[in-house]
Amino acid sequence: MKVPVTWLREYVETAASAHELARRLSISATEVERVIDAGVPDVDGNLGHFVVGRVLAAEAHPNADRLQLCQVDVGNPDPQQIVCGAWNFGVGATVAVGLPGARLPGFPGPLEERLLRGEVSRGMILAEDEVGLGPDHSGIMLLSDGLEPGTPLGDVLPLVDQVLDVTPTMNRPDLLSMVGIAREAAALCDGGLRLPDPEEPSATGAEPVEVAVEDFGGCPRYIGRGFRNVRVGPSPQWLRARLHLAGMRSISNVVDVTNYVMHVWGSPLHAFDRSKLAGGRIVVRRARPGETLRTLDGTVRELVPGDLLITDGERAVALAAIMGGLDSEVSEQTTEVLLEAANFEPIGILRTSERLSLRTEGSNRWEKGVDPYAAAPAAALASRMLVDLAGAEPAGSVDVNDGLPKRPVVTLRPERASALIGLDVPADEQRAILERLDFVVDDGWRVTVPTFRARDVTREIDVVEEVARVVLDRVPLTMPLRRAVAGHLTPEQLFRRSLEDVLVGAGFSEAYTWSLTPSDPDPSALRLPDPMSGEHAVLRTTLRHGLVEAARVNVDAGNEPIRLFELARVYLPSGEQLPRERWRLGGITEGGFAAARGAVEAIYEASHLPLDVRRITLGHLHPGKAAETDAGWLGELHPTLLEGAWGVFELDVADLMAPLPERILYEDVITFPAVRQDVAVAVDEEVEAGAIVAVVHEAGGAELREARVFDVYHGEQVGEGRKSVALHLVFQAPDRTLTDEEAAAVRDRIVAALAERFGAELRA
Amino acid sequence: MDVEALEQAALAAVAAASSTDAIEAVRVEYLGRKSELKLALREVRDRETGITLNAARERIEGAVGAREAELERAELDRRLAEESVDVTLPVGGHERGHLHLITQIRREVEDVFLGLGYRVVDGREVETTRYNFDGLNFPPGHPARSPLATLFLDEDTLLRTETSPSQVRTMEAQQPPVYIVSLGRVYRRDTPDATHTPVFHQVEGLAVDEGITLGDLTGTLDFLLKALFGAERRTEFRTHYFPFTEPSIEAYVSCHVCDGAGCAVCRHSGWIEVGGAGMVDPKLYEFVGYDSERYSGFAFGWGLERIAMLRHEFPDLRELWRNDLRFARQF
Ligand SMILES: [Zn+2]
Repeated sequence: MKVPVTWLREYVETAASAHELARRLSISATEVERVIDAGVPDVDGNLGHFVVGRVLAAEAHPNADRLQLCQVDVGNPDPQQIVCGAWNFGVGATVAVGLPGARLPGFPGPLEERLLRGEVSRGMILAEDEVGLGPDHSGIMLLSDGLEPGTPLGDVLPLVDQVLDVTPTMNRPDLLSMVGIAREAAALCDGGLRLPDPEEPSATGAEPVEVAVEDFGGCPRYIGRGFRNVRVGPSPQWLRARLHLAGMRSISNVVDVTNYVMHVWGSPLHAFDRSKLAGGRIVVRRARPGETLRTLDGTVRELVPGDLLITDGERAVALAAIMGGLDSEVSEQTTEVLLEAANFEPIGILRTSERLSLRTEGSNRWEKGVDPYAAAPAAALASRMLVDLAGAEPAGSVDVNDGLPKRPVVTLRPERASALIGLDVPADEQRAILERLDFVVDDGWRVTVPTFRARDVTREIDVVEEVARVVLDRVPLTMPLRRAVAGHLTPEQLFRRSLEDVLVGAGFSEAYTWSLTPSDPDPSALRLPDPMSGEHAVLRTTLRHGLVEAARVNVDAGNEPIRLFELARVYLPSGEQLPRERWRLGGITEGGFAAARGAVEAIYEASHLPLDVRRITLGHLHPGKAAETDAGWLGELHPTLLEGAWGVFELDVADLMAPLPERILYEDVITFPAVRQDVAVAVDEEVEAGAIVAVVHEAGGAELREARVFDVYHGEQVGEGRKSVALHLVFQAPDRTLTDEEAAAVRDRIVAALAERFGAELRA
Repeated sequence: MDVEALEQAALAAVAAASSTDAIEAVRVEYLGRKSELKLALREVRDRETGITLNAARERIEGAVGAREAELERAELDRRLAEESVDVTLPVGGHERGHLHLITQIRREVEDVFLGLGYRVVDGREVETTRYNFDGLNFPPGHPARSPLATLFLDEDTLLRTETSPSQVRTMEAQQPPVYIVSLGRVYRRDTPDATHTPVFHQVEGLAVDEGITLGDLTGTLDFLLKALFGAERRTEFRTHYFPFTEPSIEAYVSCHVCDGAGCAVCRHSGWIEVGGAGMVDPKLYEFVGYDSERYSGFAFGWGLERIAMLRHEFPDLRELWRNDLRFARQF
């Protein structure tokens, strides 16, 4: 909400500058996004160059059809000659004049005396957009006729202003009003509060206004006021300027009054053309099936039961709290007005406005909850203004309500407040703070909440917050006592960190990919019934899709080498309400199967886990380069999924971790020397290294410490369909030095077992 | 034989030797098995001659040894000089990968709180409305409960919209004292743009104990903010509103780019809004069965992406999800 400071100062008297106000408000009341400088530049003496003028003579420029040559009284003995391009005025008009030397917003230099088509022009007759007071450039500003020529223009219009751009939190709809901001400013800056309190115009020739509320739950209060002989026309310049600074568009005096008063009291109003209401009465009720309404924006709205309507007893004339109807809109022909100053409950409004995608200044306030008491002063101010600005004659008024809500009463323990805040705020000070905020505190610390806070402050803790926010910048920075704490990561959290570090050390960079994917290999994967897009529709059961896409991004970018991993959750359907969320470690790397296998080896080795790899078949992997471990799969990505040879793997972290020993036990590998031997055997092509090593271990027994394939050779010497597998063997006993004979015996056992199992021939 | 002349000749030869090969030749000539001196020594009969010859031999040996050491050193120096390489030439071969920027910040935050004695809790991402809204005191009709804001799986199941459900689950599972942080993915129905992604990361902190104050909260956040943005930063706390905390605050840190003078990063305010926090609302204690008269506590929930963006000044959040290595390698 935009809060012009000159306007605010009408309600609160304080020496605080706009920036000081912004600072106090932002710490203790509402966010102030920024302080906007508005109007003409407030530089030395600039305001002195703007005065009220009266046009003494106006005639066509002798050398230019589209210009007028004016003589303007600006309070000096001699009139000022000014050339002007506007024609919306004549002799006697009271206008705003910028004298030579004046600086206008958006102009690089000051106005200068200059010749325009041969005639000297000493200044400028101003349009509202030239001084930042409105959007209009169709003519110059016309001021009230009572003003004396030479009067400083700054006394008449907010020529220099600052605007606070405030965004109150949703619990403070009371701050969506000038009055609300003024109350806080007065309390926080020790200022005097002067809320608008106009003299109520007295009704002439009372005509009853008939209002029936069928649903007090949705509409607890409805004040209706009738006006006759209303003259709809443009608003005076001061009102146009205020609305402009507050971010609103001037429409007509009647509509501007409703918007202005909404801005003052935070309680939206609506004006109907009373002659367009059948029978001139108001019935507030819920919509019936099939009802429609053409709203002010010209759209025909299909209504559903539950939508709250203002009707004229026959048909809908407004979507309550959201937008008026087009047919009963106030127009230039309107002479009879029915002013609505009502109160609507938030429930249901959001639902209707979301369904219709229709959010308005009004609905934004109602859906947060507006004080029903605010309707009365809003109605009073609007009535006064309609009388003053549109010559309206009040004709009847009614206030229909089901009893206004009582103010909550809460007991506060001041010592409890101090204890929770962590600052000793003396009881007297707490009382003073609350009273400044319009709370009433009795001797027993029973705190009566003001009507405009009744929804938000209902418990002791809410009252504590009122004290806390005012002293917030005095609260000392302390630390909790922490008498019992447990600051450590769990084994699984530590393990996840180590997995990340192993892969980073192996040259992999970490990717983050969406948990929601377009599709998933598991047909039972959880699907969002109403996804944001087809790209983010399914909760993934594998990291693969995201990693392939991440690799593709890098291929397209020409990056290399491309090695990526992700450690994130997958969501496995469980048959219950919540899926099983499992941490997975996935990777994709250039270099095909070997690169994936290398990464998986590094992971297992760093984790001190034995790696047992078995051949499998998986649809997304190369049919000859696919394998599984106890914790997941690895292989070469099927080339239809991404061009090139890509190694991929995915391991379940909990499964990977399951066999981890709690601690590692020492084995003596130092005292007694090891005997190292290399052996090469020729076997059939299809015999896999893993099977050979398994047999070697089985045959080797306790004295075989290590067996590792270090070379596989194909060639003529080995023969067609055969290969030579070279093994590095290490023999060692923990309790003695093995003799050469013992080592040879183990080796022979191994060779014999390989011969028996695979028909292996010893080669060297 | 003229010992003196022989010695003079030997010492002259030593001095003249200019390589280790040459000095070896000198050794062979004057001290070798067939050298004049060795032959003479073998034939010596009288003690006096023996003493003279041996003294000469020792002096020649000394001179040869010294010269040999000198020459060896000179040759080594020469070789080392020839082995000089361009030390500025990179060799590569140990390319490391990079942790994702959010993981780096996640670890930083975790480590700060581990140091303060907090546990790290892994919350779950698919949640029930009970833990995501009811237990956090979101009133019925709150905009966050709308499918326009939140991704639902069914009426009662959703992708968590903040890390706060882990607070409720933790409190349900244990009595105070509770000191935890919980970091992870959260989900909102936001169309991706430079400052929004439908998935992002939060850190949630929760402390519930006897005697926890609002000052403990601001003190803790001050500590964290200085750890993340620099010890010389100033912090400020402003009133705010959240359904699950009362009082609620928003934390600000003085701009690390301009130090408060005003710049584009802080939108010329000198302050940077980091995230929300507050004292745990007594309603939450009711929900989990804590005695709200005995215990008090605080909670906060901040976006990690926001911290990353502020600290490293990159313009578009979506880079964190594109995984372009040119981005990742910078951090
Ligand atoms: Zn800055």
